[in-house]
Amino acid sequence: MSQAETVLATGRRPQTASGFLALFRNELHLTFRRMRTKVLLGILAALPILIGVIVKLNTDSPRGGGGGAPSFIAQTTQNGLFLVFTALAVALPVFLPMTVGVVAGDSVAGEAATGTLRYLLVAPAGRTRLLAAKFTAGLVFCLAATAAVAVTALATGATLFPLGEVTLISGDTIGFADALLRAVLVAGVVAVSLAGLVAIGLFVSTLTGSGIAAMAATVGLVITVQILDAFPQLDAVRPFLFTHYWMSFSDLLREPMYWDGVWKDLGLQAAYVAVFGSAAWARFTSRDISA
Amino acid sequence: MTNETAVEDQLDGAVPYRSRRRTLVRAGVPVAVAAVIAAGVGLVPALAADSPPDLPQLSAEQVVAKALGSDAQTLSGTVSVSTDLGVPSQLLGAAAGGLGAAAGHGGEQGQGSADPQSKLLGLLGGDQTLRVAVDGPDRQRVDLLENLAGYTLVRNGDQSWAWDSSTNTALHMTGRPAAEHAKAPKAPLTGVPTTPQEAAKRFLTGTAGTTSVTVAGTANVAGQKAYQLSVKPTQSGSTVSEVRIAVAADNGVPLAVVVKSTDGSTVLDVHFTDVSFAKPAAKTFDFTAPKGAKVTEKKADEAAAGHDAQGKQGEQGTQGDRGAQGKGHDGVNVIGEGWTAVISTQLPSSVEAPAQGSHGDGKQGKRHGQPMNPQALVKSLGKPVGGGTLISTKVVNVLLTDDGRVFAGAVTLPVLQHAAGVN
Repeated sequence: MSQAETVLATGRRPQTASGFLALFRNELHLTFRRMRTKVLLGILAALPILIGVIVKLNTDSPRGGGGGAPSFIAQTTQNGLFLVFTALAVALPVFLPMTVGVVAGDSVAGEAATGTLRYLLVAPAGRTRLLAAKFTAGLVFCLAATAAVAVTALATGATLFPLGEVTLISGDTIGFADALLRAVLVAGVVAVSLAGLVAIGLFVSTLTGSGIAAMAATVGLVITVQILDAFPQLDAVRPFLFTHYWMSFSDLLREPMYWDGVWKDLGLQAAYVAVFGSAAWARFTSRDISA
Repeated sequence: MTNETAVEDQLDGAVPYRSRRRTLVRAGVPVAVAAVIAAGVGLVPALAADSPPDLPQLSAEQVVAKALGSDAQTLSGTVSVSTDLGVPSQLLGAAAGGLGAAAGHGGEQGQGSADPQSKLLGLLGGDQTLRVAVDGPDRQRVDLLENLAGYTLVRNGDQSWAWDSSTNTALHMTGRPAAEHAKAPKAPLTGVPTTPQEAAKRFLTGTAGTTSVTVAGTANVAGQKAYQLSVKPTQSGSTVSEVRIAVAADNGVPLAVVVKSTDGSTVLDVHFTDVSFAKPAAKTFDFTAPKGAKVTEKKADEAAAGHDAQGKQGEQGTQGDRGAQGKGHDGVNVIGEGWTAVISTQLPSSVEAPAQGSHGDGKQGKRHGQPMNPQALVKSLGKPVGGGTLISTKVVNVLLTDDGRVFAGAVTLPVLQHAAGVN
């Protein structure tokens, strides 16, 4: 309710860039002040710590070696920085999309359910603008969620494992500063990879008045798409699934970096944003909001 | 009509009773966006592969000479390898595992070695992306881009490295493998063609005399103007209907090889997606074992001696292992020639079970050692035909006779039966 009032106060400005900024800032407040968001980010932050501790305990035990573990996890014992990549690789298929799905799915439907949406719409900010603000806030949450994973992973890795030169997937070794830059780049790519999901979540969110339903539908969709992506029989369709190129960020850990998959990923995300963003717009601007 | 819709309507200058039509119009927007994107996805490749380039007419002989005489010494690029042999995946797994087992030391150490042979068998199924760099006959590098992992083969003079990131293992060979060197100057360490050059040379040289070669127009491949060679077997009985080879007009480097089977499907498609003929940076070929990697040292003459060396290393393995190997490589006969050549061998009655994924999972590697009957495996995969069991793929057919002989080739069943002397 209080958020809605702020919008009423700020939203009466003429429709300018600052008006949008006010809306956007308000959306950020709404998203990040929520207990739920904080808990989600906390879980994401805890994930690398968990991985780091488990890997540490495993390598210290006499069984040793971490033999048989996926390469990323095995690499962490050599260099703490690699925990960033490991954590992102673990979080990207499930944890990150889940949290983003919750936030994006709830963005419109949640407010419709609690009855605050009507106050937002009374403000002369315009629905398109409101939707754009919600979408941008969703993107910021993607960045925050990815950063939560990456930063705690870096901190945990630095605490538990030695830092230094990093061995890339192609077998080349690069210095720490260079590796840190790549970590930032990878985190950025991962965050942007989630943009398509934000748009989908926003669209689903405009379809229903129930926040829970929208969240469940979005998260369910992510899981379904990931399962479909695992079927080689669907080869014709798979490159068009929005999760298909998510893991291509690992190609940036080669020397020289291999951008093909990453560009495909970003292009695909742009397509999903365009289609589902416009679908959300079409639905939201013509919908009869009754709550 | 609720208050806020009214406000919205006023803002948009629309009257309430037209809202249904407005909904329809708005729904059209995402549909239009989707249509534009779909059209773009469909059209851009079509536009990119625009009209074939204008090139001076050359005879087939001239193009072949260009391809075989290509003196491009430096090259780097990305190769897309797509194979659809229709090979039963169990068989492929068994073959890869069998080679891993043949390498002997794989299972015993709990982790696979970075053995190139077993790794590159993976190229026989599905789509792969490779990055290749060549600088003269002595320096090559092939990077196999895997999901979240990589596999690298580097040769720099008398130093050869194979590096497998998924197991953090490396194989280091020193010395110049003479025999191997002569056999396949551009193929680092393996029998699987990893570049269009290797594939093209194989098709152009290996089958002379039973082949009709024609020039089938021109094409753009990886931004290069290229002649299309169409290579067709003149013998009947081959399951290969046509091999198309794109040869760069500038320097004769084969840029793409496409193999089509008689049923019209593409079974092999190796092509550069981007290519540069500039000299690769020298550091491309500098490889040192990463810190913490498990390195297996090998002398090249040992590797060249090949199966003897592997046999020695395989002494930890069982008798059956070595038996399989001996038979598999020493007892191979080639019947016929050219496209209808059939290789025959005697299948051992029992070999060691392949350590499935021994290069990926140490625990599974321990399963190594259960005996397995390859005849039973083949029989379970194949279908009974006159004189034995047939495993049929899109190109290669394998006939296992009832007395344990194996006949295989890119030929039809009657040719195999004829070679086996059964009907």
